[in-house]
Amino acid sequence: MIDSSAKAVAAAPTDRGSRLGSILVASLLIIIGFITLYDATSYTDVDSKVFPQTSAIALILFSTLAIGKQIVQPTAVSGIELGSWWRRIVLVSSMLLACALMPYTGLLIACVLTFTLGLIASMHDKWTNRKAIVYFLSGLSIIVCFYLLFKFALHVPLP
Amino acid sequence: MDFGNFLAALTPLNLAVAMFGVVAGTLIGSIPGLTATMAVAVLVPISFSMAPETALILLGAIYTGAIYGGAYAAILLNTPGTPSAIATTFDGYPLAKRGKGDLAVAIACFSSVFGGLVGAFALLFLAPPLASVALAFGPVEYFWLSIFGLSLIASLSQGNLMMGLAGGALGMIMSTVGVAEISADIRLTFGSQTMISGFEVVGAMIGLYCIPVLIDMCSTGEKHLKITGDVAKMPILSAARITFNSKFNLIRSSIIGTLVGILPGAGGSVAGLVAYTEAKRTAKPHQRFGEGEPDGIIATESANNATVGGGFIPTLVLGIPGTPPDAVILGALMVQGVRTGPELFQSNGSIVYTFIYGLLIATVLMLPIGLIIGRYAYKSIVTIPKAVLVPTVGFMTIIGTYAIRNSISDVVVMLCLGVFGWLISKYGFSASPIVLGLILGPIAEQGFVQAWTIGAAVNNLPGMFFGRPLSQGIIAVTLISLILPWYLSRKKQIKADT
Repeated sequence: MIDSSAKAVAAAPTDRGSRLGSILVASLLIIIGFITLYDATSYTDVDSKVFPQTSAIALILFSTLAIGKQIVQPTAVSGIELGSWWRRIVLVSSMLLACALMPYTGLLIACVLTFTLGLIASMHDKWTNRKAIVYFLSGLSIIVCFYLLFKFALHVPLP
Repeated sequence: MDFGNFLAALTPLNLAVAMFGVVAGTLIGSIPGLTATMAVAVLVPISFSMAPETALILLGAIYTGAIYGGAYAAILLNTPGTPSAIATTFDGYPLAKRGKGDLAVAIACFSSVFGGLVGAFALLFLAPPLASVALAFGPVEYFWLSIFGLSLIASLSQGNLMMGLAGGALGMIMSTVGVAEISADIRLTFGSQTMISGFEVVGAMIGLYCIPVLIDMCSTGEKHLKITGDVAKMPILSAARITFNSKFNLIRSSIIGTLVGILPGAGGSVAGLVAYTEAKRTAKPHQRFGEGEPDGIIATESANNATVGGGFIPTLVLGIPGTPPDAVILGALMVQGVRTGPELFQSNGSIVYTFIYGLLIATVLMLPIGLIIGRYAYKSIVTIPKAVLVPTVGFMTIIGTYAIRNSISDVVVMLCLGVFGWLISKYGFSASPIVLGLILGPIAEQGFVQAWTIGAAVNNLPGMFFGRPLSQGIIAVTLISLILPWYLSRKKQIKADT
């Protein structure tokens, strides 16, 4: 059963920024569709072409219809809600940093650094010395345990 | 098949091996990135020194435990621990967000045990006749089966069908990246060596499902999951009541899982998705799939665990692995000197039947073991401070993705897909249709191209695609799945208007 407030949200026109965001994402998908079609022209065998071409045409078609629908009859999309951008950026950057460092420092050190940055990014409570030490040590122990599990029990050749 | 084989499965060694297998499988399966195939492959050397039936019981127990273990991360972190648990995220995570993560985990356990038992009983009683079903499936049937799976996009799109279909098409394009399987053309790599092997499905899944959750979790101070009850107590009775009240869904999904498991190459992810589609198609008006509906978890979890027994049918009867972990188990059987084939049930009957009884026992053992581990998994996730949980899960996504192909590039791709998935999810596009396209794309393409080639060779393309009775049956079910919900809602609307 849909409650009346949910119905109201669904029916309400979305704000302009979110609607524009939807249109931009759909436009990006159309570009991906055209790139796929262009790439398919270089395939030597028709068997290789048929599926990506069909999928690309479907992508372009459905994305265009999605744009049309968003213009004519907009549906509610959340858009990027409030929340801290610096935390998001630090979290993702720290994970990318781990990938960059891994070949040089090894996975263990790279992931400890990533964990520390992730801990800073995700901490919303007030820091205390005790919390900092306990959280860091608990994270460190989890990382070391999983490292040992993967490396020695599961024989994954970790860097 | 006699009582002696049942007693042979009950020896202390076989019971201990079954228990160890279920625990190890459940723990490995619960870690995002470590699939059931990997769990079986990693632990297969242990089985070499064992008697064939004990080795088979161990591997079967690991396999069934890993498939169930995948539900934990799907429910509590919105990250399918194994690909089989993709559809578990659709309702499991929303239910956990509503403060009923413990209930969701317990429902998943009961459903997995029931599905596992149905699959194992099918293996026990119906193996030879069901194996012939696998042989009746040609490329065109696989193509139509994948189209049937893709029809789920319509129900996953949540109010914007076009966006869902566009996401599905994007997933299918992503599935073509790399070397084409049939003609060996290099597609959509743009000169990058990294992309020659294409998108790694499990890594892509971790990125698209888990990274958006982590990004959202770290950006606000809100609690990750609500707690409505006592975290120390599992709502076992409520979960059992909900699961077994949904008898029809449970039985139907388990049968779907068994049948899909029989089809070589389809596997638990396809079974879960097909069962979910059927559960949603036949939903009662008050049921809200995608928002924490227990029937969604019941359908997926019973179906994916039923593929374990189902997958063993072609593996043992025909020597064709039904699912990827079965391929590893088939290899282990060869090392043991057991030759699979139609005569296996006669020539090595005691091994096969002892194993099947062992699998049944392992599945039953999964109930207490699964509930205990599930309780600790839930308790850990809800009580760990978010500041520790986010970077810990982030670390697990990195190590889990790396471990799949020992590739740092896979981790980078996973992260990029995660950010992309997060961004598009804010503007009405869902990750699920993309993942669906990514999984079903290769099955659809291979089936389509092979069927097209055969059809062209016999100069009868329409007959090839539409003339075979099995294909017609799947097409009919697909059309019913697509048209019936629309027709019923239209009929209801007309009735309401008048």
